[in-house]
Amino acid sequence: MSDTKKKDETAADHGRCMLNRRQFLMYSGTTAVAASTISISLFPGEAQAKARVVTYPRMKVARLSELKDNQPVDFNYPDDGPNSQCFVVKMDGAKAGGGVGSQRDVVAFSYLCTHQGGPMNGKYQAVGEHRVLGQCPLHLSTYDLTRHGIIVSGQAYQSIPQVLLEVDGDDIYAVGIMGLLFGRNENLMDA
Amino acid sequence: MSILDYVPEDKTPLPPKNAEVLTTCCDYCIVACGYKVYRWPASAKDGGPKASQNAFGVDFPAGPMQAWVAPTQHNVVMHNGKPHKVVIVPDKNSKVVNIGGDSSIRGGTIAEKCYNPKKPTRDRLMSPMIRINGTLQPVSWDTALDVAAELIRHTVKEHGANAYGMKTFSYQFVENTYALSKFSKGDINTANFTFHDTPADVTSTPGFRDAGFDNFGPSYRDWGDAEVLMICGTDPYETKTMIFNQFIKPAIDQGQKTIWLNVRETAGLAYAKSRGNALFIQVDPGTDVPVLGAIARVILENGWEDSDWIKKWVNNKWESSSGFGQGTRNTPWQWRTTWGKFQTKGVDDYKKWNLAQKEYDPKEAARIANIPVEQIYQAAEWMAKPKADGSRPKTSLAIEKGFYWSNNTGNTNAVSSLATICGAGGRPGQVVGRFGGHQRGGTGGAGLPRNKSPQKRPGRRRQAMDCDRYFYSGLTRFAHVVGTTWIQAMCGAQGLNNKFEELVTNNPNQVRSSNKQAIIDTLKKRMDSGGTVVLNQDIYLRDPIGSKFADIVLPAATWGEEDFVRANGERRIRLYSKFYDAPGDAKPDWWIVSQIAQRMGFDGYDWKNSNEVCEESSRFSRGNRKAYHMIKVAAHKEGKTLHEKLREMGTEGIQGPTFYNYKTGELMGSVRLHDTEMTPEMMEAQGRTQGANMVNKKMTHFNSQTGKVNIQKHPWSLFSDYWEWMSPKKDELWHTNGRINEIWQSGFDDVDRRAYIAQRWPENWTEIHPDDAAARGIESGDKILLYTDRVPVFRQTIKGVHGSDFNFAELLKNGWIELNKAAVEAVAIVTPHVKKGTMYSYFLNTSQPSNVLQGRVPDQISGNYNFKMGVSRVKKIGESKYKHEFTHMSFAPRNVV
Ligand code: SF4
Ligand code: FES
Repeated sequence: MSDTKKKDETAADHGRCMLNRRQFLMYSGTTAVAASTISISLFPGEAQAKARVVTYPRMKVARLSELKDNQPVDFNYPDDGPNSQCFVVKMDGAKAGGGVGSQRDVVAFSYLCTHQGGPMNGKYQAVGEHRVLGQCPLHLSTYDLTRHGIIVSGQAYQSIPQVLLEVDGDDIYAVGIMGLLFGRNENLMDA
Repeated sequence: MSILDYVPEDKTPLPPKNAEVLTTCCDYCIVACGYKVYRWPASAKDGGPKASQNAFGVDFPAGPMQAWVAPTQHNVVMHNGKPHKVVIVPDKNSKVVNIGGDSSIRGGTIAEKCYNPKKPTRDRLMSPMIRINGTLQPVSWDTALDVAAELIRHTVKEHGANAYGMKTFSYQFVENTYALSKFSKGDINTANFTFHDTPADVTSTPGFRDAGFDNFGPSYRDWGDAEVLMICGTDPYETKTMIFNQFIKPAIDQGQKTIWLNVRETAGLAYAKSRGNALFIQVDPGTDVPVLGAIARVILENGWEDSDWIKKWVNNKWESSSGFGQGTRNTPWQWRTTWGKFQTKGVDDYKKWNLAQKEYDPKEAARIANIPVEQIYQAAEWMAKPKADGSRPKTSLAIEKGFYWSNNTGNTNAVSSLATICGAGGRPGQVVGRFGGHQRGGTGGAGLPRNKSPQKRPGRRRQAMDCDRYFYSGLTRFAHVVGTTWIQAMCGAQGLNNKFEELVTNNPNQVRSSNKQAIIDTLKKRMDSGGTVVLNQDIYLRDPIGSKFADIVLPAATWGEEDFVRANGERRIRLYSKFYDAPGDAKPDWWIVSQIAQRMGFDGYDWKNSNEVCEESSRFSRGNRKAYHMIKVAAHKEGKTLHEKLREMGTEGIQGPTFYNYKTGELMGSVRLHDTEMTPEMMEAQGRTQGANMVNKKMTHFNSQTGKVNIQKHPWSLFSDYWEWMSPKKDELWHTNGRINEIWQSGFDDVDRRAYIAQRWPENWTEIHPDDAAARGIESGDKILLYTDRVPVFRQTIKGVHGSDFNFAELLKNGWIELNKAAVEAVAIVTPHVKKGTMYSYFLNTSQPSNVLQGRVPDQISGNYNFKMGVSRVKKIGESKYKHEFTHMSFAPRNVV
């Protein structure tokens, strides 16, 4: 087994992200959904004209210079409807998948547990080198915020949805979501 | 191992208003949560977000705890040959088990289990196959079944019934287990039969059995009704999730005290600690007996035992002598000769014995277990000290594999005795039992012909055959393997694998022709020359049993593909509805067996559907804990079938044993067994005693001759020589293994076929304490090698003559133990949540099975493996790719609160 080359597998992805977040692919080797996906719903039997084409809004959520280490800042995304509570946080130098900023430690996630919607406001935690969201007050799920919100331990059916970020100068923009927000059947719902 | 790519989706279909709804239960862990399947034609319109537009009647976005469909909860399946969409979600109307529709990460994503050619389940077995020229090639059912039947017939005739061995799941629905056992133990009448998790067909908890406790007597709510709950060898949050979420967590929130015996700390335990009312006794592997014995000593020395209850419910000297406490007939084999090691004359005698053993001195026990001695006193006080008003705390004790697979007989004896003096048994909130592993889907169609086993304990009775050892000795000529990996699931797996290679692959008689008769002739020659033929029924091609060794592979239909019946860990019986077509030519196991049996000329296998099998099997369930016979009686009175009657009961089902009131026509379940607050008179008044109703002792008493509990000794010396020999030497560490929340009783689906779980746990892993890791230069994410030349393996089938012949020290001295080498790779997780000096691995990564490190020396009394006992050295061999990436795994500790 060769381990001569110290790998940083997301470095390439990261470079790509910095070029254009909208082209950001989380999983190398897949041709899967781009960060800000174009979502087409085609109901069988209906005319194509009825297909909706939707994109995530580009929304300013914070300024890099104003984020304090390990102190989440709340915002709503992708709209102000139910189940849109999110936060952006600078994780005190803990480099993260999808992280922005010079240390790649600025990330944003939904607050709603993807198990049954438990609110995890106030549950951001820095534990040693780890950055965790949880335990969820309802059934104790925890999520790893350095690894795209993957479940650490618990009952959720998917990762905690990650809000994709773009930096423009000092401004941080939310530009998409990976994963379905709890309680929605699509992230972008008609108001 | 290839890793599936998980792609997060951001939308999901909702079932339309007119979707069909079927009930089922989760296929995975013992808890058996209730589920609903919503099904609609793929060509029809999906439901919409308004309450009036979807089958849930809920407006989306939904609020917390309301109906919702995660992207992992839907699939597309074939139903009556046409594509249908299904959404499979926990039943929001559940009033039992997963009340209000809760579920775990395992069951919650069960929709992904369904066969779908566009998804990772695409590799389901679709056609019977026979290995020709080294490759498995599709053949017709007729060919495969003719070959199988003829070979089995030949084996039995030429080499005796024991030359035919069956290794099968114990749990995958009563219809299948009934047919499988009727065939093997009954018509073939082989003693070479055992289940997926044990080398011999024996009880998992000998101590419970001997005391008179059923494994699954309690109801789930008893665990929550306890004021003090001792939890041994598991974190129910991780592996009995709904029992924890629905019953234990709410109790903890209201002040329930919990005492945990475990080597590591995971989320449920961490949560309990955070609430301030948990005691974590972090024992070294295998040291539970001294700890429990010392707690019992402290209780007895203080006079805190439940004297009133003991007077009524514990055998005294004369009672415990009556048929060894169990009656002279049907006495378990070991009681003849070893009962003296365990028998007491009652609680006073037990106390005298306990006080005379130096290892039950709290100081000595704490030293052996490597724990603070105060914890022993604390536990004793919590469990048994009367409150200020003189009333007693309601104490319950629950065990699972980390405990009973460490020192199988000793631990289960000790916990039974501790439970007995605490008065735990048969009262609401005062119970003792197993939490459970797999669901309870076993119905025995015939008993094991133990007299045909070549193994014998000192004394008179035969011992159930150790099928691994029998196979090892080259005596199994035809191995019929159903729904288990066999090899990796057993201890000392490497040796077993080599033996398969020798007897199957390296035998010169290999099939070279697709001509049926040529196949039969070649494989007969193989068996006659001392080799083995392997028949494997499963839903996927398992490595290596199917992919490398099987000569015949038969594709099985499973959950959702046939109507099936099963019970859970509180004996709750439900119908698991068929809701889609089995893939390809896959058939249920009962059908496969019936076809072989009929070809061999056996009668009684002409079932037309699974209900017929279920109805035939019901009488074999009479008198047991999940007796479902009376459901059939009730059904027939109402002009229905057993399956139809159960379907009406939906996800609620009914708790066994079931009873039928012939006067009122009411079908009744049983909340708990050994219900000491219930009397035979009450049973009669409720109409539970007439007609075909079968009332036995276990309803209102314990399972012993007198109906009272046997309080037993639990000699540490039966195990301590093994434990001392095992204990880490030089730079070794204890190595134990077990389950993890995200993969539990679902391994056959999720690691290999769920992208998300595969992403979370892509490879074998081992947890190691930061101090142990630092001493070896190991960091989280490093690739490590666990290696040892100290895997003790019990060599052959032998007979014991003298009382101590099966003691480990004697076995060693007499040359019955050989030492194997073993090594396995893993990704290191450096974490303080595992005890210093102990490593913890996932128990069954099929490519790096950590069981290879564990000793293959069955418990000398019970015949079970003590899977949790192992030692290993460990070194860094490189870095895994997960160390510096952000996509797979997580190295965050599991005990963050
Ligand atoms: S795995 Fe167990 S706890 Fe989880 S949903 Fe299934 S039965 Fe319930
Ligand atoms: S809602 Fe968060 S774990 Fe259940």
